[in-house]
Amino acid sequence: MVEALIKRNPKKHPQLNFPDYKSSCSRAPKNKKISFSSTSTEISGPVFNKNIIGKLDNDLTLNFSKNNTLPIGHKIIVFGRISDQFSNPIEGALIEIWQANAAGKYLHHNDNNNAPIDPNFAGCGRSITSSKGYYEFITIQPGPYPYQNRGIEWRPMHIHFSVFGKSFGQRLITQMYFEGDPLINSCPMVNSIPDEKAKQSLISKLDTSRSNTQKLLSYKFDIILRGTNQTFFENKLEGL
Amino acid sequence: MSNLKIVLDETPFQTAGPFLHIGCLPNAINIEGIFDTDLGVKPFAKKDYDKFITITGSVFDGDGKALDDIMLESWQSDENGVYSPECGFARFVPDSLTKKFNLYTLKPGFMNNVNGKAQSPHILISISSRGLNMTLNTRIYFEGDDLTNDPLLSNVKNCRNDISSLIAKKIDEDIYLFDIFLQGDRETIFLDI
Repeated sequence: MVEALIKRNPKKHPQLNFPDYKSSCSRAPKNKKISFSSTSTEISGPVFNKNIIGKLDNDLTLNFSKNNTLPIGHKIIVFGRISDQFSNPIEGALIEIWQANAAGKYLHHNDNNNAPIDPNFAGCGRSITSSKGYYEFITIQPGPYPYQNRGIEWRPMHIHFSVFGKSFGQRLITQMYFEGDPLINSCPMVNSIPDEKAKQSLISKLDTSRSNTQKLLSYKFDIILRGTNQTFFENKLEGL
Repeated sequence: MSNLKIVLDETPFQTAGPFLHIGCLPNAINIEGIFDTDLGVKPFAKKDYDKFITITGSVFDGDGKALDDIMLESWQSDENGVYSPECGFARFVPDSLTKKFNLYTLKPGFMNNVNGKAQSPHILISISSRGLNMTLNTRIYFEGDDLTNDPLLSNVKNCRNDISSLIAKKIDEDIYLFDIFLQGDRETIFLDI
């Protein structure tokens, strides 16, 4: 018996060729991806030690602040649990996030949106999950912003997530949206996912359980990485 | 009994967008003072540089333009074909002037696959960027290596006539060229890993 990653379901993921998202037209490959049985390469992967995480790495309101000045905007908590497809918690997963500031501006030389930079906010954070798979970030509610697509369109408020689980086959890069944002439904990047339930799974839910004690609104965003199954050797099956 | 359990859906991908450096390579775009170093700057920090090879190349879009707003990641074994979670991962971007990336790393060895058979030396590559709704994956194999019994390449040969897009060309002593074509006549073979 060997380990094999559960095959990805294309209906639950975005289509690479999605003309409503104009940038995909010249970048999405036209040929079908080649499927194959998991090898030792995909079921292994880098694992990151907790000691790479600095004290303020998961607090985006403080990790770039000058003289303890808070960034402008609503301070929020974003938290959740990372598990595999069998709901087993994933301990030690590395999460990296990036986002725009409250005005919808990224601290990046390629962002030409006419909105102010916040000198106390970089929009960059990372964290490693606990033994039960939980993570938490303190940050500023990102603003929506206009961008050039089929014309000027607006991105819904979002936070980018990059996740490393236990194997390279579990690697995930995605975006988290906010419950109730009216811009979600018209976003071509969201709509590149054919399955409605899969789309909904990217929308974090408002959680007020801590809003009184910490005076912060919280958003819960759970992430599911691929699971592995035990299977027979492929070459043995062929010989039966 | 794991096959009786409920299998949940994996969280869907979304594009990494044009600003991925902020979260993944902040020091590279001069966001300094948050993380000491960017992840994956050196895939084998403790190994002897004398043994390193260079893999260089560009990533071209469908208009033939070499891209510089993308991020590449690599995952590989050491020179003996051993995978270890502490090393073998790298992150790199093309140079904004030359549009070429350079990966300085060990040449991986032949490695044991899950079924006990060998895989030919290779490096798993992922590409994330604006315009890519999902991260793309491919593999770099090396010209001059015995590729005849590699399980993935055998699989690819069943579907495609030409596997040359997966093989880095040796252009000098310890220097290999690996260009990636997202579209067009020379479109690279991408993998559903």
